[in-house]
Amino acid sequence: MMGTIAFENVSKTFSGRTEVRALEGISLTINECEFVALLGPSGCGKSTLLNLLAGFEKTSEGVLLFDGKTVTRPGPDRGVVFQEAALFPWLNVWQNVVFGPQVQGIARAEYESRARELLKLVGLEAFAEALPVQLSGGMRQRVGIARVLAMSPRALLMDEPFGALDAQTRLSMQQLLLDVWQALGTTVLFVTHDIDEAILLSDRICVMSARPGRIVRTIPIALPRPRSIASLTSAEFVAYKAAIMSDMKVTHAPQT
Amino acid sequence: MSLSTGHMDSKPSASRVIGLTSPIPTASGGRNLRQIVLAVVLPAMVIAIWQMAGKDGSLFGGVLPTPDRAWQAWKVWAFGSTGLSLNPYSGTWLANLLFSAERVGKGFLAAIVVAVPVGLAIGWNRVASGALDPTVQLLRPIPITAWLPFSIAVFGIRDMGAVFLIALGAFYPIVVNTAQGARDVERNLIRAAMMMGAGRWTILRRVVLPASLPSIFTGLRIGLGIAWTAVIVAEMVAVKSGLGYVLWDAYYVGRMDVVIADMATIGLLGLLSDRIILLIEGWVLKWRRLQSFHS
Repeated sequence: MMGTIAFENVSKTFSGRTEVRALEGISLTINECEFVALLGPSGCGKSTLLNLLAGFEKTSEGVLLFDGKTVTRPGPDRGVVFQEAALFPWLNVWQNVVFGPQVQGIARAEYESRARELLKLVGLEAFAEALPVQLSGGMRQRVGIARVLAMSPRALLMDEPFGALDAQTRLSMQQLLLDVWQALGTTVLFVTHDIDEAILLSDRICVMSARPGRIVRTIPIALPRPRSIASLTSAEFVAYKAAIMSDMKVTHAPQT
Repeated sequence: MSLSTGHMDSKPSASRVIGLTSPIPTASGGRNLRQIVLAVVLPAMVIAIWQMAGKDGSLFGGVLPTPDRAWQAWKVWAFGSTGLSLNPYSGTWLANLLFSAERVGKGFLAAIVVAVPVGLAIGWNRVASGALDPTVQLLRPIPITAWLPFSIAVFGIRDMGAVFLIALGAFYPIVVNTAQGARDVERNLIRAAMMMGAGRWTILRRVVLPASLPSIFTGLRIGLGIAWTAVIVAEMVAVKSGLGYVLWDAYYVGRMDVVIADMATIGLLGLLSDRIILLIEGWVLKWRRLQSFHS
């Protein structure tokens, strides 16, 4: 299994009536099976960075490599989990999960058992026939995760996937993601503005600042694995949080 | 480590799903009846006043027949009269209705077959939009009535002329609404499909088309209304059968009672065909119906 990511001095400018420099000189290397969180305020370009890697947007300058190859377009090797799940509302849960393997022309026999396992993994085997609109936000996001895993991607790109959920649901989703990642060990790039979430999940936090978006600090998180939401109250966790908070205050003081 | 974290989800939601299988509250039986009564009051009043205002079976000095005379005329038109009759419309109602319905059906189907793909292309592809949309917008302001001479000249006094006008009239609302629907597909749905390895053709078929269906159905309903207008106009001028032909012919020989019966027939047929589209829409867009129940 691979899944190495390399941004080499990448910049992104959105042209238009007024040019917007969204990202400036991003250099970031993510190793196989590493869990990296991008932390920053809204408008700091963290979603743009993820969109570049997903292949939804093109880099303006610099080199962006996934497993040594230049990223040119979206593909099933980089599974994206969107904030609002972005499920197809006219397909039921099962049809949403097998959409990827289906459109790639994979034989039914090959994907069926895996898809069923994944539904079980995210706790939705009883809801295979339900339409997305019949599910709660948390359940919808579970489907969003299952459908991405159904393609066996080498990296998971998650764009504030739990940002729209209530606090309790978010905790259960974080636990689910920790468990899934523990079991599958894919590379994860996780965009969030939630400090707790970043510390709890990741091996490394890249703190970003806005206008232009750049990575201002990289903080390795050495909390022991496997982690669970119980780690949220550990002394080490609180120490990390205190350090990051004071750090971000300094970084963003001029903006607030 | 346990993977079952479902117990923490704030809404276990099984009850929500089950609740949705019968989204209409049980009280709706009574509400439906009340709505039907409410709907009938106004037309019933108009008909009653119209009937009472008439003298010797007509209003305005014999120009407008009362409802009961129109009803008598319809019965003869529909079932024929007993004994010898010189009434040229006797017993021809169903045949004429079917002539018109068949033309509408053919023209409307032709419009769908052309307008939906063209609309999707305009909404989804920039080149197709640039190549097709200006022409559509240029031709659209020409009313179908203005196409009548053209249609007669090209197709003669035949079925084809009527079908052409119907198809043309229904084409515009379907194509415009389909294009709008295809343009408005949520960006993340397209991105999700691309991320899962779908090509452009697959995205068009499996994402853009279903996402556009609500707009397409809006176009179909408007298009069907125009199709009925077009068939009556075409039959009045360019064909020798159907409800439009009877309408004009009856007016010409002073049979206003048949004219009224004909108008009522057209109205009811239009209503019925619209209900059929609604029924199909409700079935095809089940996912959407549930969505609107929630928001």
